[in-house]
Amino acid sequence: MRLAWLILRKDLTVEVRSGEIAYTTLFFAVACVLIFAFALVREGKPPEDGAAGILWIAVMLAGNLALGRAFERERQAETLRALLLAPAPRPAVYLGKLLGIVVLLAAAEVLLVPLVALLFQARLLAHPIWLTAILAAGTTGFAAVGTLFAAMLVRARSRDVLLPVLLYPITVPVIIAGVRGTAALLQPELEVDIVRFWLALLIAFDAVFVTLSLWTFEAVMTD
Amino acid sequence: MPALKRLVAAAMLAALCTSVPALAAQNPPPKVEEYVPISQLPPEDQLPAAPLLIAAYSFVMIVFFLYVVSLSRRLTNVQRDVDRLGATLKQTSKS
Amino acid sequence: MPKWFFRAAIVCGVMFVASPFVIASADYESTMGLVQKIFYYHMPSAWMFLTSGIVCGVASVRFLMTGDPRHDRLAWAAAEMAVVFGVVTLVTGPLWARKSWGTFWIWDARTTSSLVQWMVAWAYLILRRYGGPGSEKLAAGLALFGTANTAFIYVSVNYWRTIHPPTSVVPKLPFTMGFPLWFCVASFALLFVLLLRMRVRLEEQRATLDSLYLSMDDAR
Repeated sequence: MRLAWLILRKDLTVEVRSGEIAYTTLFFAVACVLIFAFALVREGKPPEDGAAGILWIAVMLAGNLALGRAFERERQAETLRALLLAPAPRPAVYLGKLLGIVVLLAAAEVLLVPLVALLFQARLLAHPIWLTAILAAGTTGFAAVGTLFAAMLVRARSRDVLLPVLLYPITVPVIIAGVRGTAALLQPELEVDIVRFWLALLIAFDAVFVTLSLWTFEAVMTD
Repeated sequence: MPALKRLVAAAMLAALCTSVPALAAQNPPPKVEEYVPISQLPPEDQLPAAPLLIAAYSFVMIVFFLYVVSLSRRLTNVQRDVDRLGATLKQTSKS
Repeated sequence: MPKWFFRAAIVCGVMFVASPFVIASADYESTMGLVQKIFYYHMPSAWMFLTSGIVCGVASVRFLMTGDPRHDRLAWAAAEMAVVFGVVTLVTGPLWARKSWGTFWIWDARTTSSLVQWMVAWAYLILRRYGGPGSEKLAAGLALFGTANTAFIYVSVNYWRTIHPPTSVVPKLPFTMGFPLWFCVASFALLFVLLLRMRVRLEEQRATLDSLYLSMDDAR
Protein backbone atom coordinates (compact mmCIF):
# COMPACT_ATOMS: atom_id res chain seq x y z
CA MET A 1 0.00 0.00 0.00
CA ARG A 2 2.88 2.30 0.74
CA LEU A 3 4.09 1.75 -2.78
CA ALA A 4 0.73 2.80 -4.16
CA TRP A 5 0.97 5.97 -2.16
CA LEU A 6 4.47 6.60 -3.46
CA ILE A 7 3.37 6.14 -7.03
CA LEU A 8 0.51 8.53 -6.45
CA ARG A 9 2.86 11.10 -5.01
CA LYS A 10 5.24 10.68 -7.93
CA ASP A 11 2.47 11.23 -10.43
CA LEU A 12 1.13 14.22 -8.57
CA THR A 13 4.56 15.79 -8.27
CA VAL A 14 5.22 15.40 -11.96
CA GLU A 15 1.81 16.74 -12.73
CA VAL A 16 2.04 19.75 -10.45
CA ARG A 17 5.32 20.70 -12.05
CA SER A 18 4.20 20.39 -15.64
CA GLY A 19 0.44 20.73 -15.36
CA GLU A 20 0.01 19.34 -18.83
CA ILE A 21 -2.64 16.73 -18.18
CA ALA A 22 -4.49 18.72 -15.56
CA TYR A 23 -4.87 21.89 -17.60
CA THR A 24 -5.74 20.16 -20.85
CA THR A 25 -8.27 17.88 -19.18
CA LEU A 26 -9.92 20.72 -17.31
CA PHE A 27 -10.08 22.86 -20.40
CA PHE A 28 -11.54 20.01 -22.42
CA ALA A 29 -14.19 19.35 -19.77
CA VAL A 30 -15.25 22.99 -19.72
CA ALA A 31 -15.27 23.14 -23.52
CA CYS A 32 -17.43 20.02 -23.51
CA VAL A 33 -19.97 21.65 -21.25
CA LEU A 34 -19.98 24.74 -23.44
CA ILE A 35 -20.63 22.67 -26.56
CA PHE A 36 -23.57 21.05 -24.83
CA ALA A 37 -24.82 24.47 -23.83
CA PHE A 38 -24.72 25.74 -27.40
CA ALA A 39 -26.32 22.56 -28.70
CA LEU A 40 -29.09 22.18 -26.17
CA VAL A 41 -30.02 25.55 -24.76
CA ARG A 42 -32.90 26.97 -26.74
CA GLU A 43 -33.83 30.63 -26.38
CA GLY A 44 -31.92 30.87 -23.17
CA LYS A 45 -33.71 27.93 -21.55
CA PRO A 46 -31.76 24.78 -20.84
CA PRO A 47 -33.40 21.35 -21.20
CA GLU A 48 -34.98 19.99 -18.06
CA ASP A 49 -32.93 17.41 -16.23
CA GLY A 50 -30.23 17.79 -18.86
CA ALA A 51 -27.70 18.87 -16.28
CA ALA A 52 -27.11 15.39 -14.85
CA GLY A 53 -26.43 13.85 -18.24
CA ILE A 54 -24.19 16.69 -19.36
CA LEU A 55 -22.14 16.55 -16.19
CA TRP A 56 -21.48 12.85 -16.52
CA ILE A 57 -20.78 12.95 -20.25
CA ALA A 58 -18.24 15.71 -19.69
CA VAL A 59 -16.59 13.69 -16.91
CA MET A 60 -16.38 10.56 -19.03
CA LEU A 61 -15.06 12.28 -22.13
CA ALA A 62 -12.49 14.24 -20.15
CA GLY A 63 -11.58 11.08 -18.25
CA ASN A 64 -10.95 9.22 -21.48
CA LEU A 65 -8.58 11.96 -22.57
CA ALA A 66 -6.80 12.05 -19.22
CA LEU A 67 -6.31 8.28 -19.20
CA GLY A 68 -4.76 8.34 -22.63
CA ARG A 69 -2.43 11.17 -21.74
CA ALA A 70 -1.43 9.73 -18.38
CA PHE A 71 -0.23 6.49 -19.84
CA GLU A 72 1.27 8.10 -22.92
CA ARG A 73 3.65 9.89 -20.61
CA GLU A 74 4.54 6.60 -18.97
CA ARG A 75 5.13 5.02 -22.32
CA GLN A 76 7.43 7.74 -23.53
CA ALA A 77 9.53 7.70 -20.42
CA GLU A 78 9.41 3.90 -20.23
CA THR A 79 8.60 4.30 -16.57
CA LEU A 80 5.87 1.70 -16.70
CA ARG A 81 8.35 -0.99 -17.62
CA ALA A 82 10.66 0.24 -14.90
CA LEU A 83 7.86 0.04 -12.39
CA LEU A 84 7.00 -3.48 -13.47
CA LEU A 85 10.62 -4.60 -13.37
CA ALA A 86 11.01 -3.29 -9.85
CA PRO A 87 10.34 -5.86 -7.13
CA ALA A 88 7.01 -4.25 -6.38
CA PRO A 89 3.69 -5.99 -6.00
CA ARG A 90 1.73 -5.42 -9.21
CA PRO A 91 -1.52 -4.47 -7.46
CA ALA A 92 0.27 -1.56 -5.85
CA VAL A 93 1.32 -0.20 -9.22
CA TYR A 94 -2.25 -0.43 -10.44
CA LEU A 95 -3.65 1.20 -7.31
CA GLY A 96 -1.19 4.04 -7.48
CA LYS A 97 -2.14 4.84 -11.09
CA LEU A 98 -5.83 4.48 -10.25
CA LEU A 99 -5.59 6.94 -7.36
CA GLY A 100 -3.83 9.41 -9.60
CA ILE A 101 -6.60 9.31 -12.19
CA VAL A 102 -9.30 9.58 -9.53
CA VAL A 103 -7.62 12.64 -8.03
CA LEU A 104 -7.41 14.26 -11.44
CA LEU A 105 -11.05 13.57 -12.27
CA ALA A 106 -12.12 14.75 -8.83
CA ALA A 107 -10.39 18.04 -9.50
CA ALA A 108 -12.23 18.30 -12.80
CA GLU A 109 -15.55 17.59 -11.08
CA VAL A 110 -14.95 20.25 -8.46
CA LEU A 111 -14.79 22.69 -11.33
CA LEU A 112 -17.55 21.16 -13.43
CA VAL A 113 -20.34 20.82 -10.86
CA PRO A 114 -20.70 24.54 -10.12
CA LEU A 115 -20.25 25.34 -13.80
CA VAL A 116 -22.99 22.98 -14.95
CA ALA A 117 -25.25 24.09 -12.10
CA LEU A 118 -24.77 27.67 -13.20
CA LEU A 119 -25.09 27.25 -16.95
CA PHE A 120 -28.03 24.88 -16.86
CA GLN A 121 -29.84 26.35 -13.89
CA ALA A 122 -29.81 23.04 -12.08
CA ARG A 123 -29.81 22.75 -8.31
CA LEU A 124 -26.91 20.32 -8.29
CA LEU A 125 -25.59 21.54 -4.96
CA ALA A 126 -28.86 21.04 -3.10
CA HIS A 127 -27.71 17.73 -1.62
CA PRO A 128 -23.92 17.94 -1.56
CA ILE A 129 -23.22 14.78 0.41
CA TRP A 130 -25.27 12.52 -1.83
CA LEU A 131 -23.81 14.18 -4.89
CA THR A 132 -20.27 13.68 -3.64
CA ALA A 133 -20.99 10.04 -2.88
CA ILE A 134 -22.41 9.36 -6.33
CA LEU A 135 -19.65 11.24 -8.11
CA ALA A 136 -16.99 9.47 -6.07
CA ALA A 137 -18.41 6.02 -6.64
CA GLY A 138 -19.01 6.59 -10.34
CA THR A 139 -15.62 8.17 -10.97
CA THR A 140 -13.87 5.32 -9.17
CA GLY A 141 -15.68 2.72 -11.27
CA PHE A 142 -14.92 4.53 -14.51
CA ALA A 143 -11.30 5.08 -13.52
CA ALA A 144 -10.84 1.48 -12.36
CA VAL A 145 -11.78 0.05 -15.74
CA GLY A 146 -10.06 2.86 -17.60
CA THR A 147 -6.74 2.54 -15.77
CA LEU A 148 -6.60 -1.15 -16.50
CA PHE A 149 -7.39 -0.79 -20.18
CA ALA A 150 -5.07 2.20 -20.63
CA ALA A 151 -2.22 0.35 -18.93
CA MET A 152 -2.77 -2.71 -21.09
CA LEU A 153 -2.99 -0.61 -24.25
CA VAL A 154 0.34 1.12 -23.62
CA ARG A 155 2.16 -1.23 -25.94
CA ALA A 156 -0.63 -1.74 -28.46
CA ARG A 157 -1.08 -0.16 -31.85
CA SER A 158 -3.93 2.30 -32.39
CA ARG A 159 -4.06 2.75 -28.63
CA ASP A 160 -5.66 6.19 -28.75
CA VAL A 161 -8.70 5.07 -30.66
CA LEU A 162 -8.95 1.70 -28.95
CA LEU A 163 -9.32 3.07 -25.44
CA PRO A 164 -12.80 4.57 -25.96
CA VAL A 165 -13.82 1.52 -28.03
CA LEU A 166 -13.07 -0.72 -25.08
CA LEU A 167 -14.01 1.61 -22.27
CA TYR A 168 -17.45 2.93 -23.11
CA PRO A 169 -19.40 -0.32 -23.55
CA ILE A 170 -18.00 -1.66 -20.29
CA THR A 171 -18.79 1.50 -18.30
CA VAL A 172 -22.42 1.68 -19.42
CA PRO A 173 -23.70 0.81 -15.91
CA VAL A 174 -21.63 3.68 -14.51
CA ILE A 175 -23.17 6.26 -16.76
CA ILE A 176 -26.69 4.92 -16.29
CA ALA A 177 -26.38 4.81 -12.51
CA GLY A 178 -24.47 8.08 -12.30
CA VAL A 179 -26.88 10.06 -14.45
CA ARG A 180 -30.01 8.56 -12.92
CA GLY A 181 -28.68 9.04 -9.41
CA THR A 182 -27.71 12.64 -10.08
CA ALA A 183 -31.00 13.34 -11.83
CA ALA A 184 -32.85 11.99 -8.79
CA LEU A 185 -30.99 14.59 -6.72
CA LEU A 186 -32.29 17.33 -8.99
CA GLN A 187 -35.92 16.52 -8.33
CA PRO A 188 -37.79 19.06 -6.17
CA GLU A 189 -38.52 16.35 -3.61
CA LEU A 190 -35.65 14.05 -2.90
CA GLU A 191 -36.50 10.34 -3.02
CA VAL A 192 -33.74 8.84 -0.95
CA ASP A 193 -34.52 5.26 -1.94
CA ILE A 194 -33.81 5.89 -5.59
CA VAL A 195 -30.55 7.66 -4.88
CA ARG A 196 -29.56 4.92 -2.49
CA PHE A 197 -30.28 2.24 -5.09
CA TRP A 198 -28.09 3.85 -7.73
CA LEU A 199 -25.36 4.53 -5.21
CA ALA A 200 -25.43 0.91 -4.08
CA LEU A 201 -25.18 -0.23 -7.69
CA LEU A 202 -22.16 2.02 -8.25
CA ILE A 203 -20.44 0.79 -5.12
CA ALA A 204 -21.05 -2.84 -6.11
CA PHE A 205 -19.67 -2.07 -9.56
CA ASP A 206 -16.58 -0.51 -7.98
CA ALA A 207 -16.01 -3.46 -5.68
CA VAL A 208 -16.32 -6.02 -8.47
CA PHE A 209 -14.31 -4.17 -11.06
CA VAL A 210 -11.47 -2.94 -8.87
CA THR A 211 -11.01 -6.54 -7.75
CA LEU A 212 -11.21 -7.84 -11.31
CA SER A 213 -8.80 -5.15 -12.49
CA LEU A 214 -6.28 -6.02 -9.78
CA TRP A 215 -6.40 -9.67 -10.79
CA THR A 216 -6.30 -8.98 -14.52
CA PHE A 217 -3.47 -6.44 -14.16
CA GLU A 218 -1.44 -9.15 -12.50
CA ALA A 219 -2.27 -11.72 -15.18
CA VAL A 220 -1.73 -9.45 -18.15
CA MET A 221 1.41 -7.62 -17.10
CA THR A 222 3.24 -10.85 -16.42
CA ASP A 223 4.61 -12.09 -19.70
CA MET B 1 -13.26 -28.46 -48.71
CA PRO B 2 -14.38 -25.84 -51.28
CA ALA B 3 -16.92 -28.34 -52.61
CA LEU B 4 -18.45 -28.63 -49.18
CA LYS B 5 -18.59 -24.87 -48.80
CA ARG B 6 -20.42 -24.65 -52.10
CA LEU B 7 -22.83 -27.32 -50.93
CA VAL B 8 -23.54 -25.50 -47.69
CA ALA B 9 -23.93 -22.21 -49.52
CA ALA B 10 -26.28 -23.82 -52.03
CA ALA B 11 -28.34 -25.31 -49.21
CA MET B 12 -28.71 -21.87 -47.66
CA LEU B 13 -29.82 -20.37 -50.97
CA ALA B 14 -32.27 -23.21 -51.38
CA ALA B 15 -33.65 -22.54 -47.93
CA LEU B 16 -34.07 -18.90 -48.82
CA CYS B 17 -35.85 -19.69 -52.05
CA THR B 18 -38.13 -22.31 -50.57
CA SER B 19 -38.99 -20.44 -47.42
CA VAL B 20 -40.71 -17.60 -49.23
CA PRO B 21 -43.36 -19.70 -50.99
CA ALA B 22 -43.71 -21.92 -47.93
CA LEU B 23 -44.55 -18.97 -45.77
CA ALA B 24 -46.73 -17.45 -48.43
CA ALA B 25 -48.77 -20.65 -48.59
CA GLN B 26 -49.84 -20.32 -44.96
CA ASN B 27 -53.37 -21.09 -43.88
CA PRO B 28 -55.22 -17.83 -43.36
CA PRO B 29 -55.50 -16.77 -39.71
CA PRO B 30 -58.69 -17.78 -37.87
CA LYS B 31 -61.61 -15.45 -38.53
CA VAL B 32 -62.19 -12.65 -36.03
CA GLU B 33 -65.53 -12.91 -34.17
CA GLU B 34 -66.81 -9.45 -34.88
CA TYR B 35 -66.43 -7.65 -38.08
CA VAL B 36 -63.98 -4.80 -37.58
CA PRO B 37 -63.38 -2.80 -40.73
CA ILE B 38 -59.67 -2.38 -41.30
CA SER B 39 -59.91 1.39 -41.38
CA GLN B 40 -61.08 1.40 -37.79
CA LEU B 41 -58.21 -0.63 -36.42
CA PRO B 42 -55.38 1.29 -34.75
CA PRO B 43 -52.50 2.04 -37.14
CA GLU B 44 -50.25 -0.73 -35.81
CA ASP B 45 -52.69 -3.44 -36.75
CA GLN B 46 -52.93 -2.17 -40.27
CA LEU B 47 -49.26 -2.89 -40.87
CA PRO B 48 -48.94 -5.98 -43.04
CA ALA B 49 -46.90 -8.66 -41.33
CA ALA B 50 -45.68 -10.54 -44.37
CA PRO B 51 -42.97 -8.08 -45.49
CA LEU B 52 -41.53 -7.99 -41.98
CA LEU B 53 -41.54 -11.78 -41.77
CA ILE B 54 -39.93 -12.20 -45.17
CA ALA B 55 -37.38 -9.51 -44.38
CA ALA B 56 -36.47 -11.24 -41.12
CA TYR B 57 -36.02 -14.69 -42.62
CA SER B 58 -34.16 -13.37 -45.64
CA PHE B 59 -31.84 -11.38 -43.44
CA VAL B 60 -31.01 -14.42 -41.33
CA MET B 61 -30.21 -16.53 -44.37
CA ILE B 62 -28.19 -13.81 -46.04
CA VAL B 63 -26.11 -13.09 -42.94
CA PHE B 64 -25.22 -16.73 -42.41
CA PHE B 65 -24.54 -17.22 -46.08
CA LEU B 66 -22.20 -14.22 -46.23
CA TYR B 67 -20.45 -15.30 -43.06
CA VAL B 68 -19.85 -18.83 -44.31
CA VAL B 69 -18.48 -17.42 -47.58
CA SER B 70 -16.17 -15.02 -45.72
CA LEU B 71 -14.95 -17.72 -43.37
CA SER B 72 -14.29 -20.26 -46.10
CA ARG B 73 -12.45 -17.67 -48.17
CA ARG B 74 -10.19 -16.80 -45.24
CA LEU B 75 -9.64 -20.46 -44.53
CA THR B 76 -8.66 -21.33 -48.11
CA ASN B 77 -6.25 -18.38 -48.24
CA VAL B 78 -4.45 -19.42 -45.09
CA GLN B 79 -4.49 -23.07 -46.14
CA ARG B 80 -2.90 -22.12 -49.44
CA ASP B 81 -0.16 -20.17 -47.70
CA VAL B 82 0.47 -23.05 -45.30
CA ASP B 83 0.78 -25.53 -48.17
CA ARG B 84 3.04 -23.21 -50.14
CA LEU B 85 5.34 -22.56 -47.18
CA GLY B 86 5.36 -26.23 -46.25
CA ALA B 87 6.47 -27.15 -49.77
CA THR B 88 9.19 -24.45 -49.77
CA LEU B 89 10.48 -25.62 -46.40
CA LYS B 90 10.62 -29.20 -47.57
CA GLN B 91 12.64 -28.13 -50.61
CA THR B 92 15.10 -26.05 -48.60
CA SER B 93 15.59 -28.85 -46.10
CA LYS B 94 16.23 -31.34 -48.90
CA SER B 95 18.76 -29.13 -50.68
CA MET C 1 -11.42 -30.78 -40.80
CA PRO C 2 -12.62 -33.83 -38.88
CA LYS C 3 -14.94 -36.39 -40.49
CA TRP C 4 -17.96 -35.54 -38.37
CA PHE C 5 -17.85 -31.97 -39.59
CA PHE C 6 -18.94 -32.69 -43.16
CA ARG C 7 -21.74 -35.01 -42.13
CA ALA C 8 -22.96 -32.54 -39.54
CA ALA C 9 -22.82 -29.73 -42.07
CA ILE C 10 -25.11 -31.63 -44.42
CA VAL C 11 -27.54 -32.35 -41.59
CA CYS C 12 -27.47 -28.68 -40.63
CA GLY C 13 -28.15 -27.55 -44.17
CA VAL C 14 -31.07 -29.96 -44.48
CA MET C 15 -32.51 -28.78 -41.17
CA PHE C 16 -32.37 -25.16 -42.24
CA VAL C 17 -34.01 -25.93 -45.57
CA ALA C 18 -36.73 -27.82 -43.74
CA SER C 19 -37.25 -25.26 -41.02
CA PRO C 20 -39.64 -22.94 -42.87
CA PHE C 21 -41.94 -25.91 -43.48
CA VAL C 22 -41.73 -27.01 -39.87
CA ILE C 23 -42.48 -23.48 -38.76
CA ALA C 24 -45.36 -23.16 -41.18
CA SER C 25 -47.01 -26.20 -39.57
CA ALA C 26 -47.16 -24.47 -36.18
CA ASP C 27 -50.34 -22.89 -34.97
CA TYR C 28 -50.88 -19.18 -35.17
CA GLU C 29 -50.23 -17.33 -31.99
CA SER C 30 -53.47 -15.64 -31.00
CA THR C 31 -52.46 -12.04 -30.44
CA MET C 32 -49.61 -11.54 -32.87
CA GLY C 33 -50.57 -13.71 -35.83
CA LEU C 34 -48.21 -14.21 -38.70
CA VAL C 35 -45.39 -12.00 -37.55
CA GLN C 36 -44.88 -14.07 -34.42
CA LYS C 37 -43.28 -16.69 -36.63
CA ILE C 38 -40.12 -14.58 -36.53
CA PHE C 39 -39.81 -15.85 -32.97
CA TYR C 40 -38.70 -19.26 -34.23
CA TYR C 41 -35.53 -17.73 -35.63
CA HIS C 42 -35.16 -14.85 -33.20
CA MET C 43 -35.11 -16.85 -29.98
CA PRO C 44 -32.64 -19.62 -30.97
CA SER C 45 -30.24 -17.02 -32.35
CA ALA C 46 -30.58 -15.06 -29.10
CA TRP C 47 -29.72 -18.21 -27.16
CA MET C 48 -26.70 -18.85 -29.38
CA PHE C 49 -25.64 -15.23 -28.90
CA LEU C 50 -25.79 -15.78 -25.16
CA THR C 51 -23.90 -19.07 -25.44
CA SER C 52 -21.16 -17.45 -27.52
CA GLY C 53 -20.74 -14.80 -24.86
CA ILE C 54 -20.38 -17.39 -22.14
CA VAL C 55 -17.93 -19.49 -24.16
CA CYS C 56 -15.85 -16.40 -24.90
CA GLY C 57 -15.83 -15.35 -21.25
CA VAL C 58 -14.88 -18.76 -19.90
CA ALA C 59 -12.20 -19.30 -22.54
CA SER C 60 -10.77 -15.85 -21.83
CA VAL C 61 -10.52 -16.54 -18.11
CA ARG C 62 -8.79 -19.84 -18.78
CA PHE C 63 -6.43 -18.12 -21.18
CA LEU C 64 -5.56 -15.49 -18.58
CA MET C 65 -4.93 -18.19 -16.01
CA THR C 66 -2.95 -20.64 -18.12
CA GLY C 67 -1.67 -18.75 -21.16
CA ASP C 68 -2.55 -21.70 -23.40
CA PRO C 69 -3.17 -20.33 -26.94
CA ARG C 70 -5.93 -22.86 -27.57
CA HIS C 71 -8.18 -21.01 -25.15
CA ASP C 72 -7.34 -17.75 -26.86
CA ARG C 73 -8.32 -19.20 -30.24
CA LEU C 74 -11.61 -20.45 -28.87
CA ALA C 75 -12.30 -17.07 -27.26
CA TRP C 76 -11.68 -15.21 -30.52
CA ALA C 77 -13.88 -17.61 -32.46
CA ALA C 78 -16.65 -17.33 -29.88
CA ALA C 79 -16.49 -13.54 -30.00
CA GLU C 80 -17.00 -13.64 -33.75
CA MET C 81 -19.94 -16.02 -33.25
CA ALA C 82 -21.37 -13.56 -30.75
CA VAL C 83 -21.20 -10.74 -33.28
CA VAL C 84 -22.83 -12.81 -36.04
CA PHE C 85 -25.62 -14.32 -33.93
CA GLY C 86 -26.02 -10.98 -32.20
CA VAL C 87 -26.62 -9.19 -35.50
CA VAL C 88 -29.25 -11.76 -36.39
CA THR C 89 -30.95 -11.35 -33.00
CA LEU C 90 -30.80 -7.56 -33.02
CA VAL C 91 -32.32 -7.31 -36.50
CA THR C 92 -35.03 -9.98 -36.28
CA GLY C 93 -36.13 -8.64 -32.90
CA PRO C 94 -36.97 -5.12 -34.08
CA LEU C 95 -38.62 -6.47 -37.22
CA TRP C 96 -40.92 -8.50 -34.99
CA ALA C 97 -41.31 -5.61 -32.57
CA ARG C 98 -42.39 -3.21 -35.31
CA LYS C 99 -45.58 -5.18 -35.77
CA SER C 100 -46.22 -6.49 -32.28
CA TRP C 101 -45.14 -3.54 -30.14
CA GLY C 102 -45.64 -0.82 -32.74
CA THR C 103 -42.07 0.43 -32.75
CA PHE C 104 -38.70 -0.86 -33.90
CA TRP C 105 -36.77 -0.22 -30.72
CA ILE C 106 -37.70 -0.11 -27.04
CA TRP C 107 -35.15 0.79 -24.44
CA ASP C 108 -36.06 -2.06 -22.16
CA ALA C 109 -33.70 -4.20 -20.10
CA ARG C 110 -33.21 -7.15 -22.38
CA THR C 111 -32.88 -5.37 -25.72
CA THR C 112 -30.55 -2.72 -24.36
CA SER C 113 -28.38 -5.22 -22.50
CA SER C 114 -28.10 -7.32 -25.64
CA LEU C 115 -27.07 -4.29 -27.64
CA VAL C 116 -24.40 -3.30 -25.13
CA GLN C 117 -22.99 -6.83 -24.89
CA TRP C 118 -22.99 -7.06 -28.66
CA MET C 119 -20.91 -3.90 -28.75
CA VAL C 120 -18.47 -5.44 -26.30
CA ALA C 121 -18.10 -8.43 -28.64
CA TRP C 122 -17.60 -6.06 -31.57
CA ALA C 123 -15.00 -4.13 -29.55
CA TYR C 124 -13.22 -7.46 -28.93
CA LEU C 125 -12.96 -8.08 -32.66
CA ILE C 126 -11.74 -4.53 -33.33
CA LEU C 127 -9.10 -4.98 -30.66
CA ARG C 128 -7.88 -8.29 -32.09
CA ARG C 129 -7.75 -6.84 -35.59
CA TYR C 130 -6.08 -3.50 -34.87
CA GLY C 131 -4.40 -3.90 -31.53
CA GLY C 132 -1.21 -5.33 -32.91
CA PRO C 133 0.94 -7.97 -31.21
CA GLY C 134 0.23 -8.65 -27.58
CA SER C 135 -3.45 -7.83 -27.77
CA GLU C 136 -4.52 -11.38 -26.87
CA LYS C 137 -4.32 -10.84 -23.14
CA LEU C 138 -5.93 -7.44 -23.34
CA ALA C 139 -8.79 -8.92 -25.35
CA ALA C 140 -9.15 -11.68 -22.78
CA GLY C 141 -9.40 -9.01 -20.09
CA LEU C 142 -12.06 -7.22 -22.11
CA ALA C 143 -14.07 -10.42 -22.51
CA LEU C 144 -13.79 -11.10 -18.80
CA PHE C 145 -15.01 -7.60 -17.96
CA GLY C 146 -17.80 -7.85 -20.47
CA THR C 147 -19.04 -11.12 -18.98
CA ALA C 148 -18.78 -9.83 -15.42
CA ASN C 149 -20.68 -6.74 -16.44
CA THR C 150 -23.76 -8.63 -17.60
CA ALA C 151 -25.60 -8.47 -14.30
CA PHE C 152 -24.78 -4.79 -13.80
CA ILE C 153 -25.97 -3.82 -17.25
CA TYR C 154 -29.17 -5.77 -16.86
CA VAL C 155 -30.00 -4.36 -13.42
CA SER C 156 -29.17 -0.81 -14.35
CA VAL C 157 -31.18 -0.86 -17.57
CA ASN C 158 -34.02 -2.75 -15.89
CA TYR C 159 -34.98 0.31 -13.89
CA TRP C 160 -36.57 1.55 -17.06
CA ARG C 161 -39.63 -0.07 -18.66
CA THR C 162 -39.61 -3.70 -19.69
CA ILE C 163 -41.98 -4.91 -22.42
CA HIS C 164 -40.21 -8.15 -23.35
CA PRO C 165 -42.40 -11.24 -22.93
CA PRO C 166 -41.56 -13.06 -19.72
CA THR C 167 -39.17 -15.99 -20.06
CA SER C 168 -41.69 -18.40 -18.65
CA VAL C 169 -43.54 -18.45 -21.97
CA VAL C 170 -41.31 -21.27 -23.26
CA PRO C 171 -42.39 -24.18 -21.02
CA LYS C 172 -46.03 -23.29 -21.53
CA LEU C 173 -45.94 -23.47 -25.30
CA PRO C 174 -48.39 -25.94 -26.84
CA PHE C 175 -46.69 -28.81 -28.63
CA THR C 176 -47.44 -27.51 -32.10
CA MET C 177 -45.45 -24.39 -31.26
CA GLY C 178 -42.96 -26.13 -29.03
CA PHE C 179 -41.73 -28.59 -31.62
CA PRO C 180 -40.82 -26.02 -34.29
CA LEU C 181 -39.05 -23.99 -31.62
CA TRP C 182 -36.90 -26.85 -30.44
CA PHE C 183 -36.28 -27.88 -34.03
CA CYS C 184 -34.96 -24.40 -34.77
CA VAL C 185 -32.96 -24.38 -31.55
CA ALA C 186 -31.33 -27.62 -32.63
CA SER C 187 -30.60 -26.20 -36.10
CA PHE C 188 -29.06 -23.05 -34.69
CA ALA C 189 -27.09 -24.95 -32.09
CA LEU C 190 -25.67 -27.23 -34.75
CA LEU C 191 -24.86 -24.24 -36.95
CA PHE C 192 -23.14 -22.56 -33.99
CA VAL C 193 -20.96 -25.59 -33.33
CA LEU C 194 -20.05 -25.94 -37.01
CA LEU C 195 -19.19 -22.27 -37.49
CA LEU C 196 -17.24 -22.22 -34.24
CA ARG C 197 -15.23 -25.25 -35.30
CA MET C 198 -14.47 -23.67 -38.67
CA ARG C 199 -13.42 -20.40 -37.07
CA VAL C 200 -11.15 -22.15 -34.56
CA ARG C 201 -9.64 -24.07 -37.46
CA LEU C 202 -8.83 -20.75 -39.13
CA GLU C 203 -6.92 -19.63 -36.05
CA GLU C 204 -5.12 -22.96 -35.80
CA GLN C 205 -4.01 -22.63 -39.42
CA ARG C 206 -2.85 -19.06 -38.82
CA ALA C 207 -0.78 -20.28 -35.89
CA THR C 208 0.69 -23.03 -38.09
CA LEU C 209 1.52 -20.40 -40.69
CA ASP C 210 3.29 -18.26 -38.10
CA SER C 211 5.39 -21.16 -36.90
CA LEU C 212 6.22 -22.06 -40.52
CA TYR C 213 7.42 -18.50 -41.12
CA LEU C 214 9.57 -18.78 -38.03
CA SER C 215 11.06 -22.06 -39.26
CA MET C 216 11.78 -20.41 -42.61
CA ASP C 217 13.76 -17.72 -40.83
CA ASP C 218 15.61 -20.34 -38.84
CA ALA C 219 16.36 -22.40 -41.93
CA ARG C 220 18.08 -19.50 -43.66
